[in-house]
Amino acid sequence: MMIHEGLANRILLWAITIAGLIVIYAPPLYLLAVSFNPALQPGLPRLSDLSLTWYAALPKERALVGALQQSLIIATVTAVMATGMSLLAALAYFELRAQRTAWFLTVILPMFVPGVIQGLALSAVFTRSGIKASSLTVIAGHLLWAMPFAFIVILTSFAAVRRSYLVAAADLGATRWRQFVDITLPLIRPGLVSAFIFSFLLSLNEFTRAFYLAGRQNTLPVVLFGKMNSGASPVIYAMSGAIFLASVACVALIAIRSIWPGAGKRSPR
Amino acid sequence: MTGPRLPTSSVLMTPPLLAILAFGLAPLTIVVVWSFWSWDPLTYWIKPDLSLAGYAAILEAGRWTVIVSTLVKALGTALLCLLIAYPTAYAVHFLAGRRLSIILLALITIPFFTSYLIRSFSWRLVLGRTGVLNTWLQDWGITHAPLEWLLFSNFAVVVGLVASYLPFATFPLLLSMRRVDPTFLAAAQDLGAGFWKSLTSILLPLTMSGIFAGFLFVFVMVVGSSTEVQMLGGAGASIVSVMINDVMRVANYPLAFAISTIVLVVIFGLVLIGNRIFGLASLFEDQSQ
Repeated sequence: MMIHEGLANRILLWAITIAGLIVIYAPPLYLLAVSFNPALQPGLPRLSDLSLTWYAALPKERALVGALQQSLIIATVTAVMATGMSLLAALAYFELRAQRTAWFLTVILPMFVPGVIQGLALSAVFTRSGIKASSLTVIAGHLLWAMPFAFIVILTSFAAVRRSYLVAAADLGATRWRQFVDITLPLIRPGLVSAFIFSFLLSLNEFTRAFYLAGRQNTLPVVLFGKMNSGASPVIYAMSGAIFLASVACVALIAIRSIWPGAGKRSPR
Repeated sequence: MTGPRLPTSSVLMTPPLLAILAFGLAPLTIVVVWSFWSWDPLTYWIKPDLSLAGYAAILEAGRWTVIVSTLVKALGTALLCLLIAYPTAYAVHFLAGRRLSIILLALITIPFFTSYLIRSFSWRLVLGRTGVLNTWLQDWGITHAPLEWLLFSNFAVVVGLVASYLPFATFPLLLSMRRVDPTFLAAAQDLGAGFWKSLTSILLPLTMSGIFAGFLFVFVMVVGSSTEVQMLGGAGASIVSVMINDVMRVANYPLAFAISTIVLVVIFGLVLIGNRIFGLASLFEDQSQ
């Protein structure tokens, strides 16, 4: 680059960067390692001791399995709805002129509402309206939690849609609908896929809102929370480790697609 | 021209707007309205009689101090996150090559979409009496007995908060650095400015919107957090969200919602002021054009 930081400053900058990453990743990775330790006491397993004992025990934990199923259903519906709604919101955003920023803030602001307040207040609304807590009420809460993220991802993916492409298509007689189907949609497809995956993960891992909005069948994070506070068993490590690993893998998949061009089109920058 | 037509902006807006109104605005309206209702401690019932009892109760039982200590935690965490996130954003944007920067970007993105619950919980294994850190400290002879204050303490909570919300500071900083014209930095260099001089007189002022956005995001997230305190805090440790939850054990909606209203006013006030001064929206919007 054009700035000369000097070796000492470079080392300092990298050291802080790595320290930050260690703070984020070391504890969950340690938990993941512990989950492969067959011993009851948490600790790093020896390489020869690595075992899937606790993972094999997971299917017998009926409460966890039921909660996982419920969470997967909720996350799928939330992801479909959040992606669709955010696409509409993004399209509207580009149609708007003067009220753009106002619309942007309207979609983004729910992200800043604390989970406890949104969950509690939404459950009050549902109780007052005579709506029973169920997977649907959780989806309602998760939709607003996931939409701001999906919206930003989709907005960013619109960078691939050059104005000139649309103008050229219009000159050739394409209606705005055809422009959308033949040009915009293929170009923003990677953004839509990312938005879907991100929304799915946000819902799957969301705890606070689900705590207030879940009906008889709790979601996985709510059940995990209860078990974590009533004497952690190694099975909890296995379930947590598996969910963490799956979440990381999903995001990594999106990243890999953008490192190797050809697997997905890069947006021009 | 036949065939389906792309609807106008008002039609496109309708579904997301309805969702935001029904699941976002309606609950917040209830929060504000019910915070002025009255609550009967004998029956646990709430009545639509105008009352400021909810707000008055904030001044009782040390609830006020929880709000203040939450704001202090948020301030401290946000500053700590900025201290780590600024060098990180710098390294990703200016130091790393293309591949490495994408890998780092992925590593910064992943935490947004993993479980805050699991990540907080995993700190128990690190900070506990028989945790990694205490074991190391004793093995190396630095301490002779396990440090008790590592877990279930304010220290643990702040560590957990930084670990949870650090990426919220890194991201806006990165976005703001991308908008800095590198020729400014090159010019400063040509005129003889060293790294620290260019940093303080060029880069820091030009990334002020990112610094503020990063601070704000972390601050707001900490004010709304509960998991970290529930997983890592000591006995009686509290934070606004946990206090709201405790108050709801007796279904005291007016008090819970009075606290919530104050929190919401602080959060939305900061976000809107931030948008007015620094154009928060443009930080994300310019990426899309």
